[in-house]
Amino acid sequence: MAQQNRQRLALKHPSTFAQYRTLLSKDLRQEFRTKEMVTSMGIFAVLVIIVYGAALALTAQSIDIASMSGGLIWALIVFTSLTGLNRSFSHEKEQGCLEGILLVPLDRSVIYLAKATSNFIFLALVEVIAVPLFMFFFMTTVPFAPTFGMIVWPLLLGTIGMAGVGTMLATITANTRSRDVLLAVLFIPLIYPLLYACVTATTAAILGSAQWMDLYTMPLVMAAGYDVIMLLACWVLYGFAVSA
Amino acid sequence: MADSQKKKRPVPEAGQWPDKLLVPVLVAGVVLTTVGFLMAFLYAAPVDGAEVNGFQLIGSKLVTHRQLLSQKIFYFHMPVAIVSFVMLIAAAYYAIRFLASKNQRYDTCSRVAMEISLLFVIGTMITGDLWTRFEWGVWWTWDPRLTTYLILMLIVIAYFVMRNSVDDPERRATYGAVISIIAFIDVPICMMVTRLIPTSIHPVVVRQNGMAPDMTITVMVCLVGMLCVAYGLYRLRFRTVRIEERVEALKEQLEEE
Repeated sequence: MAQQNRQRLALKHPSTFAQYRTLLSKDLRQEFRTKEMVTSMGIFAVLVIIVYGAALALTAQSIDIASMSGGLIWALIVFTSLTGLNRSFSHEKEQGCLEGILLVPLDRSVIYLAKATSNFIFLALVEVIAVPLFMFFFMTTVPFAPTFGMIVWPLLLGTIGMAGVGTMLATITANTRSRDVLLAVLFIPLIYPLLYACVTATTAAILGSAQWMDLYTMPLVMAAGYDVIMLLACWVLYGFAVSA
Repeated sequence: MADSQKKKRPVPEAGQWPDKLLVPVLVAGVVLTTVGFLMAFLYAAPVDGAEVNGFQLIGSKLVTHRQLLSQKIFYFHMPVAIVSFVMLIAAAYYAIRFLASKNQRYDTCSRVAMEISLLFVIGTMITGDLWTRFEWGVWWTWDPRLTTYLILMLIVIAYFVMRNSVDDPERRATYGAVISIIAFIDVPICMMVTRLIPTSIHPVVVRQNGMAPDMTITVMVCLVGMLCVAYGLYRLRFRTVRIEERVEALKEQLEEE
């Protein structure tokens, strides 16, 4: 009888990838139902563009805006992702979801990977909307350089790094007082090297001058290196941060 | 359950043997730094700056180059920067020890090392800014090396902001350890950015012609002196904090009995 019971209770241990997929689909489903993060980030992005409109009212010359747009796009992305990352852990805290996840016997780094992936997807989604909007409002007078399409790579690497580091920091700041401010205080200095590299590469691609490759390749390599190092560090340290 | 945990927690120690070294090390550090200060002006030869037209009489000497008095800041700027790095490494080391053992003592070590590091990072910023003002003619320039040092300072400040906004000591210690390890990883990236981006106007001292022996000796004296000062300050602060913790623990014990 006892033997039978044990057999009936025996559960199949899900693979790590199945755990990852479950956690990720939980985040995505929650977002599809509430549409909270993408909506707030999207509106915020539009608002930043409006602020740009006022700030740049007198710099309409196309040459100015072409050399500035790389930096402006990245400022837009950084502030938008800050609002998104702030929200990303509020559901988990409010409804006790995180405690539930932590009770499940799974590796903590899986939680990190799932959360970072969902943050990456939301950030990328907002960028897909915000960057064309920025171009529509500010860059219609700028002649397109043939290398313009190459801004995809710095955008991709930058988003990966920001989602990775941001997930880690959002986990930490979710448990603190004044968490919105604290996330910005920690996030912006820590991603500075990545931001610097991505802005350089994006501007080089937008301008597309004769030696653009010199200004494009090295920052891109540095951004990739930053991503690898920082994601590994966060991946290792996440278990401590989330269980504390 | 909370009570049983408290009882199990050992009372922090009253002091350790390195405390005996504290005063001699601090005095040695101050003396060495002062000697280094005097050596920088009296012993180390002045460095040639911009070329002047032919020969010119400056002071009582005939020279071909303008002499750089502002270069003397280098003898303090570089050792202070190195000490701030060393303290940051110490903070990260103790942070790893803390995460491995969950012993609150290492958290105190890490925090105190971070405090001393902040002191020296600010020192680096001030000495660097003096140089920037006199040599480059601006208070601030977005040279990558300056920027990354500013970023380092902001991260260290953010570390303390974060510590202040968490109440639970266990949690605060873990978050502090995580942040200080990430800050430590930022240091090599900071160095890489400064080496790899070609637009930097910060003088790269060791790579150009190397230093003359008199310069090396002066820098070394300053460096050893400041390391001693940093160590002395670290021990002093650590002992203070540790004794405070001991008083708190003893009070709790008395209340329970």
